[in-house]
Parts: sequence; C-alpha cells; structure tokens
Amino acid sequence: MTASIRILLATLLTLVFALPACAHPHVWVTMKSEVLYSPDGKVTGVRHAWSFDDMFSAFATQGLAAKEKGKYTREELAPLAKVNIESLKEYDYFTYARVDGVKVPMADPTNDYWLDYKDQILTLHFTVPFKTPVKAKELAIDIYDPTIFVDFEFAKDNPVKLVGAPQCKLDVALPREMTFAEGKALSNIPADQVNTSMAWGAQFANKILVHCP
Amino acid sequence: MTSQASRKIAQGALFIICMLLVLGAIDAALAQPFGMTRGAAQPEFGGFTGWVLAKQAEFYRMLSGTIRAAKADGSAAYTLMGISFAYGIFHAAGPGHGKAVISSYMVANNETWRRGVVLSFASAILQALTAILIVGIAAVLLGATAKVMGDTVRIIEIVSYLLIIAIGLRLLWVKGRAFLHLLRSRKQAQDHGRDHAHDHGRSHAHDHGHDHSHDHHHDHGHSHDHGHGHHGHDHDHGEEASAWGHAHALEPQELTGSHWLKRGLSAIFAVGLRPCSGAIIVLVFSLAQGLFWIGVGATFMMGLGTAITVAGIATLAVGARGLAGRLAKAKPGAGILVIRGLETGAAAVIILFGTLLLTGYMVSERLMVF
Repeated sequence: MTASIRILLATLLTLVFALPACAHPHVWVTMKSEVLYSPDGKVTGVRHAWSFDDMFSAFATQGLAAKEKGKYTREELAPLAKVNIESLKEYDYFTYARVDGVKVPMADPTNDYWLDYKDQILTLHFTVPFKTPVKAKELAIDIYDPTIFVDFEFAKDNPVKLVGAPQCKLDVALPREMTFAEGKALSNIPADQVNTSMAWGAQFANKILVHCP
Repeated sequence: MTSQASRKIAQGALFIICMLLVLGAIDAALAQPFGMTRGAAQPEFGGFTGWVLAKQAEFYRMLSGTIRAAKADGSAAYTLMGISFAYGIFHAAGPGHGKAVISSYMVANNETWRRGVVLSFASAILQALTAILIVGIAAVLLGATAKVMGDTVRIIEIVSYLLIIAIGLRLLWVKGRAFLHLLRSRKQAQDHGRDHAHDHGRSHAHDHGHDHSHDHHHDHGHSHDHGHGHHGHDHDHGEEASAWGHAHALEPQELTGSHWLKRGLSAIFAVGLRPCSGAIIVLVFSLAQGLFWIGVGATFMMGLGTAITVAGIATLAVGARGLAGRLAKAKPGAGILVIRGLETGAAAVIILFGTLLLTGYMVSERLMVF
C-alpha cells in the first residue's frame, strides 16, 4: 500500500514537474546562412538571413509606421532591426561555432544589418563575425535556441553557402525534429550542393559542418 | 504501529519532497538558456514531452493558415475554434508553470477537486482576458508596437511571479509550522510511550469511539493525549478535511468554508495574470488580417482547452493527495506526518517555482526575442 502510493505520487509529480520548463516555439525562423572566408582562407564569420513566420512577422510589425499600408521599407524597419540585433546579443545570436572541437567566441554583428518585408514575411539579414578569424580544418556551427522558443530550420533550397572558401566540403545536419516536421526538406536539398548528413543522432540543432583539407 | 513502519513512511515523505526539489532544479537547469551547458549538447525532448511539444507546435502552426482562410471563408472560423481548443489542451499539458503552481497549491491546501476545477477554469479565463485586454488596448486602441506589448507583459509577469512567491511563503509559514509542531509533539509522545509502554496496550482498547480531534494540535504539550491520538484510527469520520486537512488551531476559520474562493483568488491571479504569448501573437495576427474578433474567439477557446488540462492535472494531484490521506488515516501517527510533510513540500515547490521564474532561471514563455 505504501509503495503503491509512493509510486503513484512519484508518477504524478514527475508528470507535473519533470517537463522542461520552457515553452514551445512561438517563432519559426527559416534561415539561409553563409560561412564567410577571408582571402587567406580563414573563417571570418557567418552571414544569416532569417525569415520569420507570418504570425510573428505580423506581431513584430504591429504599430510600425509605414507610408504605404502593409508595406515596409528597409528604412522604416531600421529601428526594429536595431532592436532585433541588440536583443539577440543576450542569446549569443543563437550561433555557436566550434573550430576543431574548440568553441570560438563571436563578436557583435557588423553594422550592415537590415530587415526586409516581402509577402508579409519579415527577414532579418545580419553578419556575426568571429572575434578573430581562424583557419579551420573542422568547422561546426550550431544554430539553435536552447529554450526552443525559436524554432530554426534551414530553407529548403541551398540553405548554406560557403563564400570564398578554399577547397572545403560542406555538410548540413538538420535537427531531429525535421524528420517528421519537415522531412521533405532532406530530399529537396540538391545533391551537388550539400551532402546531407544523416548522422544527426541526438543533435537538436541545425548544424553546419565544414571540412577543409 | 511500529516505529519502523513510521520511519518508512517518514522516509517516503522525505523522498517525495526531495524529488520535488530535485525535479524543480532539473527543470531550472534544463530551461536555463545559457547556463553551464552553453552551446553544448541539447536537452532532448523525447517521449511524452516531445510528443506534447510537437503537437502543440503543430496546432499552433495551423492557426495562421486557418485565420487567413477565415478571411475568405467564414466557416473556417469554426475550424479555427477547434484548432485553438486543441492547441490549448496541448499547450497546458506541455511545459508551463500554471498547472504546477495550481497542483502544488491544491496539495498544500488540501482543496477538493471541485475547487481545483474552478481554480483552473478561473485562471485560464483570466489568462485569456489579459491577453485580449493587452492587445485590445495597446494594439487596437493605441496602435502600440510589439515592443510596448512585450514590456507590458514583462511587468505583469513580474507581478505574477511575486504573487506566486507570496502564496508559497504564506503556505510554507502555515504548513511548515504545523509540520514542525507535529514533529515535536510526536517526539514527545514517543518519549512518553517509551516510559509507559504498558499504558499503550490499554489505550488501544479504550480509545474506540474516541473523538478524532486528538490528532490535532489543540492538545499541544499534553504528551499523553498525543499518545492517545496515535491510536485514534478507529473513528469513522467521513470528512477527511476535518481530520487532518488543515492547519488546525493556527487558522481555524480561514482555511475552511466559503473563504476558499477568496483565498483561491490569489492563486487565480498568480497563474492567470500572465497572458500566453501564443494568444497575444494570434490576436495581433488576427488584427492584422482585420479579424480581431475571430482572434478573441480563438483566445477563449485556447483558454477553455488550457482549463480542461489544468483541471485534469489538478484533479490528479488532489486524488493522489486524498489517497495519501486515506493511507495516513490507516497509520495515524506517521501518516499525518507524511501529509504535513507533503503539504510543506508543496509549499516549498511553489516558492521555488516563483523564485526561479522571477530570477529568470526558469523561462516560462518569452514574447520578445527579436
């Protein structure tokens, strides 16, 4: 009797409390990213283009002044872009890079960031530079929100590009969630562009893997 | 009963309380956006949690398409209500502090399941109302930006978390004192029992029909009465609450009777004040589509779904506590100790939740990232 009650209580309380205390995604980001290289073959940073889902795009643009209703110019969106970039700092721009297994610190984004608004979708463009450019044999960049408030997914076509890279091989690993949510994305990635790794295993993040000789 | 059995029960209670605290801590660690595991491996959301997360995300994503559809075709509004309802059910089943606080509150206060249902529905409806009020006033009337709404939510959030902590502290004060009283008096009774072991056997026989009130505190200091109390298991009082439900002499009137709703108001506000981020986004999106009232309907449906899940979980908590109460009845001495311990633990959990939420170690929901 005591044991059964203890088990019942334990089950109940686990049910109530053991769930991770973070919410489900309220923002969906479809991203395209470019890994930037300097002429001497060092990685200098990552350039992102993050498109928000239609609901969040509507939410974020609420109350913004626009000359033409429902259309926002880059200039009109500039204050919002500034807020975006500033608040992203707290979250490390959701971009975590490792070079040969060692974490690489990121610097603040360069000033050439902007928002555009097309088909009621808001897209944030910005570049996160490495604090110091590095030569990387094995480069891994994770893009994710540990609190899963933001759901990141790579765009279907050409989600990742290497810009100015020496002879390197690019892999894009999708998070496990994609297997049921956006499984199709896998097959839609052109074979010549990206060699999609199936070995994401326990990885929750969107991963960019670059192997350079 | 043997002291070994009582020790076992006490250990069980301790185990449960520890587990509560540990789970709370794990929760916090998992939720901590950039703690020690910054940039490291991801927490995995498998099994039930993963399923709930996937489901609510799925329903949430269906919302935008359905709202758009409702613009052209009015009947899509019905679909939207259905989806909102389903979203609410899954949303509340998933991570969130509301049901945890309500359940802990139910356990600590030994409320009935009916009250749990009322509290759940009231807080869910309040939650829907705050979302509608914020968007209605800020966005519709004032044309404010998302940032203004985000800041408003942040302030409400802080008030709500402070309220949670206050409720927890108050419960801990009441329940913790009752628990300590009981511990102390039990110790005295045990000492007494050791001295007069032969009396015990006799008291067994005599106590039949004795009033249950011996279980309570009004006899503090009279250790011999407590000795009787331990054997007072044979009374057949139907109303468990009077047997060990409340904090006795500490607050005779307030914790029983019609005051429960007044008392529950604090819990309703603590949980219901903070609007659901999803509801706010849906409302603003509806507004942008020129369908604000459809958004309002959807928000209430979400609230209804949320209320059903929270009420279900609160009922489970009440049931478990009732079961523990019946067991305690069978083993009076240590049993009450378990119950008191459980109540104290539940109060501590409420404080823990409130503190973690307030300090940002546990993230409930974020409205503004970008």
